[in-house]
Amino acid sequence: MAPGKTQADPLEMWREWVGNSERQWNAFLNNAMATHEFSQTLGRLMDVYLNMQKSMNDVMGRYFTALNIPTRSDVVALGERLTLIEERLGNIESALAPRPSDPALTGIPAALSPPRTRKPPAR
Amino acid sequence: MTQAPASDPTIEERVRLEIERTIQRSIKGLEYVASGDPAVGLTPKDVIYSRGTLKLYHYRPMADEVYRVPVLLVMSLVSKPYILDLTPGQSLVEFLLKRGFDVFMIDWGAPRTEDKRLRLEDYVLDFIPDCIARVRETSGEPDVSVVGYCMGGILASMYASLHPDGPTKNLVCFTTPVNMDGMTLMRQWCDRRYFDVDRIVDTLGNVPPELLSASFDMLRPISQAVGRIRLWDNMWNDEFVKSHRMFDRWANDQIPFPGECFRQTTRELMWENKLYKGRFELAGRRVDLGTIRVPFLHVMAEHDHIVPYEAARVLVPMVGSEDKRELVIKGGHVSLVAGGNAIYRLWPQLDSWLAERSV
Repeated sequence: MAPGKTQADPLEMWREWVGNSERQWNAFLNNAMATHEFSQTLGRLMDVYLNMQKSMNDVMGRYFTALNIPTRSDVVALGERLTLIEERLGNIESALAPRPSDPALTGIPAALSPPRTRKPPAR
Repeated sequence: MTQAPASDPTIEERVRLEIERTIQRSIKGLEYVASGDPAVGLTPKDVIYSRGTLKLYHYRPMADEVYRVPVLLVMSLVSKPYILDLTPGQSLVEFLLKRGFDVFMIDWGAPRTEDKRLRLEDYVLDFIPDCIARVRETSGEPDVSVVGYCMGGILASMYASLHPDGPTKNLVCFTTPVNMDGMTLMRQWCDRRYFDVDRIVDTLGNVPPELLSASFDMLRPISQAVGRIRLWDNMWNDEFVKSHRMFDRWANDQIPFPGECFRQTTRELMWENKLYKGRFELAGRRVDLGTIRVPFLHVMAEHDHIVPYEAARVLVPMVGSEDKRELVIKGGHVSLVAGGNAIYRLWPQLDSWLAERSV
């Protein structure tokens, strides 16, 4: 109970109990999870998840190919080409870049850019 | 009859208060369910550079006079940057602007499928130098203060180490892990005997955010459920609910981890602990944190369950700067930088440390 209190507050006691329980359970479960057995189980679960993902990717890929629909890898390949085009455009933009003080680059009109003369407050 | 002091309400007062709160909980609980996500990242900014998913923001000044040296915020690869710009009054970015700093931020964006090939070399030797060049151009200043949060701190430290004569004026890291032996649970779960990182990357490409979120949640397995109980208990309190929603939104808004970068981080940093041992190389260049000579500040959280103190504390001794400081602040991994804890603890300290070194 907090100092100076003369009557027990059941809700405050309940809140304290929740906080303590949280700490104790987290510590208990962290100990249980810091074992080789747990890591091994996690590894197995991950294997199952990856197998499912791979099977689904393979099946969906074949399905889309049969339906003459672009697969995920086709779309990704297009995305890669688009990224290359974006990068080249970016390079061209950089080569033609306006001067740094140009508001189009900084987003701030030069007249509104505050002077860079601020000094730290004296201690 | 004497009245009980204000700090010690009578049973009748407690019952009345609890009935009022129960009614408020029901009303506000309905509002909570019906309303959408709170708006975040509202500080006015301009995108001054973009490249793929990367965006470099320049925040609009909020002071009449700014410090000479601009500040560049480097975010982690696995979380969204708005944790540093939650909402007016709870935004580190806004705080720095009001205190007279010229603030830029690198937002890595969510990597696309084709970004699975990105490695740490791309971030440290290409993207960060590219952004720093833009910051220098835009500000017209030759040097920049770099501030990295969590994994952003690793990237910023690697950059500073490989560019010892570069434009870094000051380096600040928030809760940055270097000694992976200290990441006890994460390291155990990534045990190389059971954790097939090659198969994960080869099958999935980028590591999905759900896997990352699940691993962070597992570090405090009960806390999410307890968080719901606390939310209900405080549903009458608008400030608590608003804050909870923003943090909850951010915690559930993780982004994928670029596949090759994940493979590199797991193999070389997590398994072999190469950065701590001084054997980590990027493009054939050894990353020696001892080559960092600029003023350096590392802020850690006392109750950080994601980056424990043991993993982070070695950074200051490893850095070669003469002007270096370690600061351990009460709080957790997120409350260190955002929320009420940060406003009164971290932000003023960051302001005074940076201000002295930004003229």
